[in-house]
Amino acid sequence: MNIDYTIEAPVVEGRLTLGDIERLVAAPMESKPDKKFYIALSISGTFLLIGAVLLAMSFYKGVGLWGNNQPVGWGFPIVNFVFWVGIGHAGTLISAILFLLRQKWRTGIARFAEAMTIFAVMCAGVFPIIHTGRPWLAGYLMPYPNQHGLWVNFTSPLVWDVFAVSTYFTVSLVFWYIGLIPDFAVMRDRTTAKIRKTIYSIFSLGWRNSHRNWQHYEKAYMLLAGFATPLVLSVHTIVSFDFAVSIVPGWHTTIFPPYFVAGAIFSGFAMVVTVLIFVRKIFDLEKIITLNHLEKMTKVILATGLMVGYAYGMEFFIAWYSGVQVEQFVFINRAFGPYAWAYWIMVSCNVIIPQLFWIKKIRRSIPAMLVIVILVNVGMWFERFVITVTSLHRDFLPSSWGYYTPTIYDIGILLGSFGLFFTLVILFTKALPVVSISEIKAVAEGAQPNHGGAH
Amino acid sequence: MPETKDEKVNQSVKADPNYWRSFEELHRDPKMIEQSHNEFQQSVTDEFDPKKLSSFSRRKFLALLGASAALAGTGCNDYPDRGEIIPYNIKPDEVTPGIANYYASTAACEHGCGILVRTREGRPIKIDGNPDHPVSKGKVCTQAQASILDLYNPERLKNPLKLGGSGLYVEISWENVDKEIIQILNSRGSREVAVVSGRIVSPTAKKLFDEFAQKYNAKIYPYELFNESLRNRAWQKSYGGGLYPQIKWDEAKIIVNLESDFLGSEGNRIENARLFAQGRDVNNINNFNRLYVIEGNMSLTGLNADYRLRLRPDAQHEFASALLKAVNGSMSELNSFSKKFDLSEAALRSLVKDLKQNSGKAIVYAGSTLSEEVHFTVNAINEALGSTSLYNRQAVELYPLISSGDLVSLINSMNSGRVAAVIHFDSNPVYHFPKDLGYESALKKVTAVISMTETNNESAALSNYILPINHPLESWGDNKTRAGFISSQQPVIAPLFNTRQKEAILLNWVNGDAKKYNDKIYHEYLMNNWQSSVFTPVSADSNFKQFWSNALHDGVVITNESSSSSLSFNSSGETSPKLVDLNSFVVALKPAYSTVDGRYADNGWLQELPHPVSKITWDNYAAISRLTADELGVKNNDVIDIKAGGESFSIPVFIQPGSADRTITIELGYGREKSGVVGSGVGFNAIVLMSGQSGTSPWIFKASVSKGTGSYELVTAQEHHVFDDERTKDAAQKRGIIREGTVEEYKKHPHFLHKEGHELFSIYGSQTNMEYTGLKWGMAIDLNKCLGCGDCVIACNSENNIPVVGKDQVAKGREMHWLRIDRYYSGSENEPKASTQPMLCQHCDHAPCENVCPVVATTHSPDGLNQMVYNRCVGTRYCSNNCPYKVRRFNFFNFRDHFKDGYQEANVFNLIYNPEVTVRSRGVMEKCSFCIQRIMEAREDAIEHNRTIVGSDVKTACQESCPTSAIKFGDVNDKESEFAKFRNHQLGYYVLEELNVRPNVTYIAKLRNTHSEEA
Repeated sequence: MNIDYTIEAPVVEGRLTLGDIERLVAAPMESKPDKKFYIALSISGTFLLIGAVLLAMSFYKGVGLWGNNQPVGWGFPIVNFVFWVGIGHAGTLISAILFLLRQKWRTGIARFAEAMTIFAVMCAGVFPIIHTGRPWLAGYLMPYPNQHGLWVNFTSPLVWDVFAVSTYFTVSLVFWYIGLIPDFAVMRDRTTAKIRKTIYSIFSLGWRNSHRNWQHYEKAYMLLAGFATPLVLSVHTIVSFDFAVSIVPGWHTTIFPPYFVAGAIFSGFAMVVTVLIFVRKIFDLEKIITLNHLEKMTKVILATGLMVGYAYGMEFFIAWYSGVQVEQFVFINRAFGPYAWAYWIMVSCNVIIPQLFWIKKIRRSIPAMLVIVILVNVGMWFERFVITVTSLHRDFLPSSWGYYTPTIYDIGILLGSFGLFFTLVILFTKALPVVSISEIKAVAEGAQPNHGGAH
Repeated sequence: MPETKDEKVNQSVKADPNYWRSFEELHRDPKMIEQSHNEFQQSVTDEFDPKKLSSFSRRKFLALLGASAALAGTGCNDYPDRGEIIPYNIKPDEVTPGIANYYASTAACEHGCGILVRTREGRPIKIDGNPDHPVSKGKVCTQAQASILDLYNPERLKNPLKLGGSGLYVEISWENVDKEIIQILNSRGSREVAVVSGRIVSPTAKKLFDEFAQKYNAKIYPYELFNESLRNRAWQKSYGGGLYPQIKWDEAKIIVNLESDFLGSEGNRIENARLFAQGRDVNNINNFNRLYVIEGNMSLTGLNADYRLRLRPDAQHEFASALLKAVNGSMSELNSFSKKFDLSEAALRSLVKDLKQNSGKAIVYAGSTLSEEVHFTVNAINEALGSTSLYNRQAVELYPLISSGDLVSLINSMNSGRVAAVIHFDSNPVYHFPKDLGYESALKKVTAVISMTETNNESAALSNYILPINHPLESWGDNKTRAGFISSQQPVIAPLFNTRQKEAILLNWVNGDAKKYNDKIYHEYLMNNWQSSVFTPVSADSNFKQFWSNALHDGVVITNESSSSSLSFNSSGETSPKLVDLNSFVVALKPAYSTVDGRYADNGWLQELPHPVSKITWDNYAAISRLTADELGVKNNDVIDIKAGGESFSIPVFIQPGSADRTITIELGYGREKSGVVGSGVGFNAIVLMSGQSGTSPWIFKASVSKGTGSYELVTAQEHHVFDDERTKDAAQKRGIIREGTVEEYKKHPHFLHKEGHELFSIYGSQTNMEYTGLKWGMAIDLNKCLGCGDCVIACNSENNIPVVGKDQVAKGREMHWLRIDRYYSGSENEPKASTQPMLCQHCDHAPCENVCPVVATTHSPDGLNQMVYNRCVGTRYCSNNCPYKVRRFNFFNFRDHFKDGYQEANVFNLIYNPEVTVRSRGVMEKCSFCIQRIMEAREDAIEHNRTIVGSDVKTACQESCPTSAIKFGDVNDKESEFAKFRNHQLGYYVLEELNVRPNVTYIAKLRNTHSEEA
């Protein structure tokens, strides 16, 4: 396969007309769901239900149904939380940062990535609430005036978390919705069914494709992109503070903020690639979400994977360099102690295997890509597991060392979060345009005035 | 403005017709004109009838709205207080609500320590030691403290039961059961009535037994699974009579201990520990004692040894003989012995040297499970060392225990039908008697088996009558274990159930009339006995009533009794030892630290108390050495089969560092089958290995051992680490958690602990710290005195309403103890050095838990306490993660509900809780509060009496219970106080000081009294 990287590849392949694009993207919403849709939905729904039932039992009996113990106070729920927040990073990065950087190729994947962000943050948001011993008192984490004179503790990173995650979710949702307005209008105009028309009409906010509409829209979108950009960096920085602010050896590390952000982008891109591979195939969007798109994303994965690998190495170096016995022990224990298996899964999935992306053939091979990105997802989940559990299980006093074993409830609730995520993704594909119609039209060949490539 | 046809507007038709609103208006439709006169439409005006309206007035509606909101608010919430609170109609003089009363009594065991029962509004909530008691001096053991839990055991028997025809027990009234039993006793004919009891320590009960024996031709069989009979037999052989004396441990400089656990489970360990620790006072460094322990298994005493040698217990006779020769001048035998058993020759040489140099101040002490011959030889060594001055000859035995011969003849008579009735007087012989005697099958030949017991047990299950008896806290009694004093026992609560005191039942039978029973009969019997036997000798000028009240108030009466005459040693009993075959396996049985001989099996606090050495809870196990494990091909938790005397027995192994090779040590007191839900099926009953007609010692015997099938999970409260793993080895020492020195080192350089001490580096420069100018609480724990027994843990459980979580939760690492005893090993696996360290909330000035709590549920008080606000806690567990000491405990469940299906939520358990301490719900973090309820009580008292509170006003529960007074508590800023001496001691250090969390618990570094050349 010979690709000439000196020439910019067309973002949309196959010389689709604007009408083709519209028809192609709108097709899933205008056809009746087929059998495959229901099979997929029932599978993800089953997982969701398993998670919901086990969660209800945990509420009823107590978090003791999980594997958490002394000294490992945080187990799967926090691991899952960090994992899902990480997954939620790719969307905003693609839609906001790449938008500001004028990366045209983002248009094909931005909508979907953003939707995944929102769903992932929803999955993530569940965990901080359910992991507490008394989830019905979660409102205590919000600062609200009350006659008891009680206030939250602004020195606690968990309070920062509440704000970071809720702000991120709100801004992502608004940003996503603003981007959807022109597409809602397209759908409103295309559809004839009454109910659907009403719904699309409401959400399109009276969009009339006027110049003024577009002017306001572009400005608002740009502003929101600017607003969302720092959030991409801040939210995982603050999540990393949950660990870095503590005094637990293995957590108390200044490298955590950049390391977590890089890891989040790494895992977020991996998840986007995983899902897009299926979506472009199933919905016949291979010309809009092209192989070039996927290849670009694998390059991001490779780059962020290297950053994560650097962080792994640097942690060891600093532990040795600090001369602190406890710190040194924690890292050696990670690699060779009772949780060595988890550590080596993490290193091989996150650092070693993504190196295959140096090879162009693998970057452009869908099956190879799929295997690698799934392994990256696994590896990144284990990274959070390693950080959370191995640091806690053997900390300062050898007398209180312990071992954490997850229970069926932990695993079930993790599966349930995947069920929630994929249920939302599946419903999304049938309810909203998975690719931004208006943006794709703008980057389709011939859509913009040009001089035939001669500058 | 467009107009619609059907729009109806009230508009005067006289208005300017150029402006029209509708065609009707324009065309002046008459209908329209007609309508326009009526302001309201027909339906609106014509039908108006106030009676037809809803009968709700607005006022009523609002009232109902308010009422339903109030109903929803109160009815739909889970308001916890469902009970009624009824004030006293006529307040009893002695009860003030909110103020505890204390009553002196005596613990119901063979040692009879003085107890002080704290009661609140008439219910006992905690057992402490009675400071006036001359032996226990204000301290009691774990069992006595935990026995309060048995009082409220929901499974206590509540009514007398009789075995019905269908094999089921039916309830029967006391009067009828007494009638039937008196009938049985009277119709015995020439047959015997046997009473099987525990050791008899009550003079009044002894009198009662004598009367009963006389009336019904009964024979009393006092039996204890573990006893001092071998030691006493050797003593009688050596000195011609009497009982083995108590040892003045406080006066001994050199203590050589052969297989005895005198600090852990042998004799009155509370007294032993107190006296021993007097020789471990860092402020009196020249008076340090030196403890040599030669034992087969790591015991609590072994943990505290300065020199510890591992030796299989059946070789102790060989060792004692060699030691006797060495003391008399010939080292050669001891040298060859040390080669045979691979013992450190240097340690043995210094042992002999020490013994000789400290003659008169050195004592050799052998464990009660060792054979008579060993004890005889040890007596000879002490005689040779001139150590008889260390004997404190005050031991008293009211009623000798039965010998194994008596037991055999009892069972023979039972089998041959010569026994009319067997009365189990609060004893459990079916479980305790060696199985080869066949007691269980012999019981079937007895006409009537009567069990008096508080809860179901193995013997009760085979009885015709089960008589529920009072808990000791509901009973009258007295107790005499030593010459020089007698102690009293009084009830502190009326019987909770339809039970009677066991002595009263017997007394009623002696009286012979079922109808004559009343609640006071034994009370009066006891008073009469005291009036005749105790009162007269003590004083003549006071009246008895006065004397009796004083006796009950003090709990103890000092009597004038002279101790016995001088001793003359008869050395002719010395026998030469049998040489031990090193390839054989030896089994050593010893009492459990928690359940003793199984009588406390139903006590959740004790079952969950970690073993002081192995930290295993809820089980017993076979402790073996690493070499033996390798030889048998087993690892931890694997099951081994032990065969001895035709019996076979399987038990999981635990590789105990410091065990002698081919020695299998098993604790008895487990494997109860017919106990309550807590105690049944916990551990393995190794009594089956014992023989009723044994050789030299029933507790130590040869056996054949092989690898069994399967494995069994033993759970521990502390993870075990591999010794040969460089990464985990000696971690506690490397991290400065345990800092130790030797006595020599301390004498030479009193500041040795802090000699390398440099200022901690801080990147924040000179911080401005919160200044605590007023009273600030702190604790100091003297690791020289801390033996690691766990008394403080039980005291804390009792004081702070700590739930039992059960084996499955301990396995997960979720035990709730606010205070734990950490045990660390260093050195090699075969010769480990052990260190113990009580670990509790350190109440750090810079507490890392406080800044990470998102809801400010853990805060700092102005007097330096780290506080927990349960109501505010949402349970993120971040505080626990960030606590470097891992002393925070989380309610993963409502453990009261979770453990054994809500066992701890039984109604009767509500009575045990300390009303000053919140019972925590699930999802809440908790931890040591430095007994804040006691601090508040002391503060209230100080305010009431218009004085300032001082550090010594408060004693924490752990401090109060510590038998060696290793725990000190007080005001950090009071430089004059006794506490300040420890707080600012040269040997004081903080655990994990380098984290700069500024903990407030000072640990006094342990000094090992070894010879300087080996330090």
